[in-house]
Amino acid sequence: MNETSRSMPAKSIIELNRDTKEVSKVRDGVDTAVPRGIIAGESGENTILLQRTLRSGQSFYYDGNVVVLGDVNPGAEIKATGSIIVMGVLRGMVHAGIGNNESATVAAFKLQPIQLRIAGHITRAPEGENFDSERPEIARVKNGVVTIETLHIGGF
Amino acid sequence: MGEVIVVTSGKGGVGKTTTVANIGTGLAALEHKVVLVDADIGLRNLDVVLGLENRIVYDITDVTGGHCRLRQALIKDKRFEGLYLLPAAQTKDKTAVKPEEMRALCAELKEEFDYVIVDSPAGIEQGFKNAIAGAEKAIVVATPEVSSVRDADRIVGLLEAEELRDPKLVINRLQPKMVRNGNMMGIEDIIDILAIDLLGVVPEDEMVIISTNRGETVVRMENSRSGQAFRNIARRITGEAVPMMDLDYNEGIVRKLRKLIGLG
Repeated sequence: MNETSRSMPAKSIIELNRDTKEVSKVRDGVDTAVPRGIIAGESGENTILLQRTLRSGQSFYYDGNVVVLGDVNPGAEIKATGSIIVMGVLRGMVHAGIGNNESATVAAFKLQPIQLRIAGHITRAPEGENFDSERPEIARVKNGVVTIETLHIGGF
Repeated sequence: MGEVIVVTSGKGGVGKTTTVANIGTGLAALEHKVVLVDADIGLRNLDVVLGLENRIVYDITDVTGGHCRLRQALIKDKRFEGLYLLPAAQTKDKTAVKPEEMRALCAELKEEFDYVIVDSPAGIEQGFKNAIAGAEKAIVVATPEVSSVRDADRIVGLLEAEELRDPKLVINRLQPKMVRNGNMMGIEDIIDILAIDLLGVVPEDEMVIISTNRGETVVRMENSRSGQAFRNIARRITGEAVPMMDLDYNEGIVRKLRKLIGLG
C-alpha cells in the first residue's frame, strides 16, 4: 500500500498533484505537537474531519481546512481559514479562507449554500434562483470573482 | 413504569398543543393511563383545548412550589377513564419552574401513568429546557414550511445535545393538493433535511379549529381526517405498526413512506 492512499480525503480531492511527503512523515512518526484526529497538511495547515451532519444553529470554526462527512443544514455555519469540503449537501452558510486566504475553496457533493464566502468575497445565488446542483461542484476565487465549476474528482 | 414524551417544535403555532391533546386522548381511548403536562407556563393553552379550564384549582407551579400535592393539581377528564391534565400557570412565567423540579415531577408521574406527555412551549430558552428536562423521548412537530423546518432542525440538534436521541417527527397541516402543485414542501423534502424517523403526517383540517373552540379533540370525531391521523399516531406510539393514511398523495410516495415508518 503506498503512502498517498493513506492521506485524508481533502488532500486527494483538491491537491493530488502536490507532494504528499509532508503527510506521510506525520503518519509514520509520532508527532506529539499534532493533536489526535488532526492530520497536518501542506505548509503546516491542519485539516479536521467532522463525521456528522451540522444542524441549524450549529456553528463550527476551525483554523485550517474542514471536511464534513454529512450535510450542512440551512441555519448551520462552517468557518475556516482554509478550504471547506462537504461530502453531502451544503445548504447552510460557509466561510472559507478567513484571514484573506483567497486560494481557499469550497466544494460539496451538492453545493446549495444560503451564502458562500471566500476570504473577503460574499456570494449568494443569483436573484430569484437557488443554487441548483446535480453534480459535485467547487467554488473558488478566479480573477477576483467567486466562480463555481463542476468538480472533477481526480485532479484539476 | 411509564414513559415521558416531550412534544416540541421550536416554531410556534405548528400544532404542539393540538398534537398533545389529541394523542393523549387517543392513548386514553386505547385504555392507557395518560397524564398531559402543560409546560407552557404563562401562556397555558392545553387546558383550553381540552375544555378543562374552568376546573383548574392548582397548577404545576403550585406543585413545584410545595403549595399542594401532585394529586390535588391533576384534573381528571370526565370523558375518559385514564386521562388527566396537569395545567400550567397563567399568571407566572417560565422562570417559575426549574429543570430539576420538572425532572422530579416527571419521575413521580411516570410511577403512576403509562404515558406522561409534556407540551413544550415554543422557543429554545428556559421553557423548552424545562419541558425536556424530565423526558426520555421526544416528538418534534413541524409544518411543511421552510421556517418551521429550519426551527425543527435547530430543535433536533438541541435534543441530540441533551441526549434525547432518536426524536420522532410529526408533520402537521399538510395540504396534499398544494404539494402536488409544487407549492408546498413534500414529506420527502422535510425528511431530507431533518433526517429523523417519521411518526405520522396530519393533513390540514378545518375541524381542528372548530373542535378546539369547543374544547374537544378531533381524535374523537369519526369523520375527521386529522382525527384519523392522530388516532394512527397514538397507536404507533404504543408500538403498533399502522399503515400510512391515504393522503390523496401519490402512490409511489406512499410506498416509500411505508418503508420510512418501517412497514413493507
